[in-house]
Amino acid sequence: MRNQFKATVSALAAQDEKVVVILGDISHFMFREFQERFPSRFYNMGICENALISVAAGLGAQGFRPFVHTITPFLTERSYEQIKLDLGYNEFGANIVTTGASFDYAWDGATHHAYTDLAILRLIPGMEVFQPGSPKELDAIIRARYASGRPVYYRLSDHSHGFDLDLGPEPGKGVVLMGGAHPVTVMTAGPILKNVEEACRDLPVNLVYFNCIKPIDHELIARFRHTRILVVHDAFGLREAICEVPELRTAYHGIPDRFCVWYGTVHDIRRQIGLDPEGIRAFVQARLGETATAGR
Amino acid sequence: MGATMLPEGREIRRSILRASHASGHGHIPTSFSIIELICAAYAEMRHDPARPDGEDRDIFILSKGHGALGYYGVLAHLGYLPVDELSTFGAFGSRLGCHPDRKKVPGVEVSTGSLGHGIAVAVGMALAFRIAKSPRRVFTVVGDGEANEGSVWESVMVAAHLGLNNLSILLDFNRSQGRSLPIENPAERFAAFGCDTIEVDGHDLQAIREALSKPCRGPRAVIAHTVKGYGCSTLTGNVFEWHRKSPSPDQLALLMAELESA
Repeated sequence: MRNQFKATVSALAAQDEKVVVILGDISHFMFREFQERFPSRFYNMGICENALISVAAGLGAQGFRPFVHTITPFLTERSYEQIKLDLGYNEFGANIVTTGASFDYAWDGATHHAYTDLAILRLIPGMEVFQPGSPKELDAIIRARYASGRPVYYRLSDHSHGFDLDLGPEPGKGVVLMGGAHPVTVMTAGPILKNVEEACRDLPVNLVYFNCIKPIDHELIARFRHTRILVVHDAFGLREAICEVPELRTAYHGIPDRFCVWYGTVHDIRRQIGLDPEGIRAFVQARLGETATAGR
Repeated sequence: MGATMLPEGREIRRSILRASHASGHGHIPTSFSIIELICAAYAEMRHDPARPDGEDRDIFILSKGHGALGYYGVLAHLGYLPVDELSTFGAFGSRLGCHPDRKKVPGVEVSTGSLGHGIAVAVGMALAFRIAKSPRRVFTVVGDGEANEGSVWESVMVAAHLGLNNLSILLDFNRSQGRSLPIENPAERFAAFGCDTIEVDGHDLQAIREALSKPCRGPRAVIAHTVKGYGCSTLTGNVFEWHRKSPSPDQLALLMAELESA
């Protein structure tokens, strides 16, 4: 996804002189061609995440379309107040693009894990929050929203879900990938769809996918109000967004209430917390059993 | 502080005292500390109160947002606001909150309040003008207490590294932070972080204007030696008691009398 980010932003910068890239000392090698082509609009500004956001706010205030990019927890958790006040409250536009979603940096330990970003950023009025699941989705979302004049968050991952999905011309819509008439609905977002689909492909469930956490597709969610909704996600925030629709019966399978202190790869961590296909399948099957029992 | 208070400085302080008395709100000492700094910045800026959104305007940001009453006093004096409106300070429904809101107050460019933000946004605006090859300049007033915040120094490092000589940082060095984490020798610190640094009497309007008009290679840091409550001995002698306080009728009369003889 990072390569797609670079390709999309480079293409936009060639047409739009207001595009500016600000890096927090990451991805600078990848952006070397951008730097050569647009030297006055490329800044590897340093390891100073608070300043990165505020500087982007200042650029946005004066009509530029900045892209601020560095590692997820440092830009979203460390700089939350800058995002809330300098972008949200002040209504200055900027594009925040992070890398290192959830457990992409599993081996680096809990300091580099990032699963609160979607949940906390969706609380900021005016903020748009996206979790694309593939390079194609990322490209479409950036092109549609980068010049909105709002603070927009794009959560990049090193792992795509691998599906070629069509979510329509405008970001913000979810899509039904399986079923539609079952009494149990699995809802998910972003790259973890790969594991969710593998877990559920032969189970009697509806499968609904989102790549936009805010604004979330209320209309689509409401269509499944009468079903039991299982939110499977490798972060916080999706379930909370889904529950904006009233009177839902939901259960969540995802991040535990403890630090994930194991190393290895994203696949190791997912397996450890039950977000591998087997763990997800076991969770869904258990809920299916409860639903069947309740229905008798 | 050897400067004689100019008539506009006295008039603005009078309006601040009246507003604080009428509203029941106010950080009067910190507001009195920054009057000449803001007046000097606006005297150097290209700005037009009749066109607060003018495309060629220079930018002023009160990074220490709790000095809002002082800022509103200057804005009213310049014609951005009716002076009478100052009495609504902090009231429900007023445009004039105890920290400035850019969506409400003509002339306010950035909503501030939480410390260490305005200066960083100022750096971004100065960079925007650099990229756009615009002659517009950015001025920001930062408190010495605010300079406890790490984001202030992140911002200064970035501005210095980028050589943003269209940015002027005015440090309101009123030593308010002596009680906790003092910023000693700020001129050395800002110079060490890469600023062109000048020390001035922060109540000498002409000296501040000269400091703001000198050519500089990178961001300019004007270390302004100021006094909390400048102009009223009751305030300067009791800054902690008066940090956030509104004067009673008797106190208002006393402060007005002190101001007349300042």
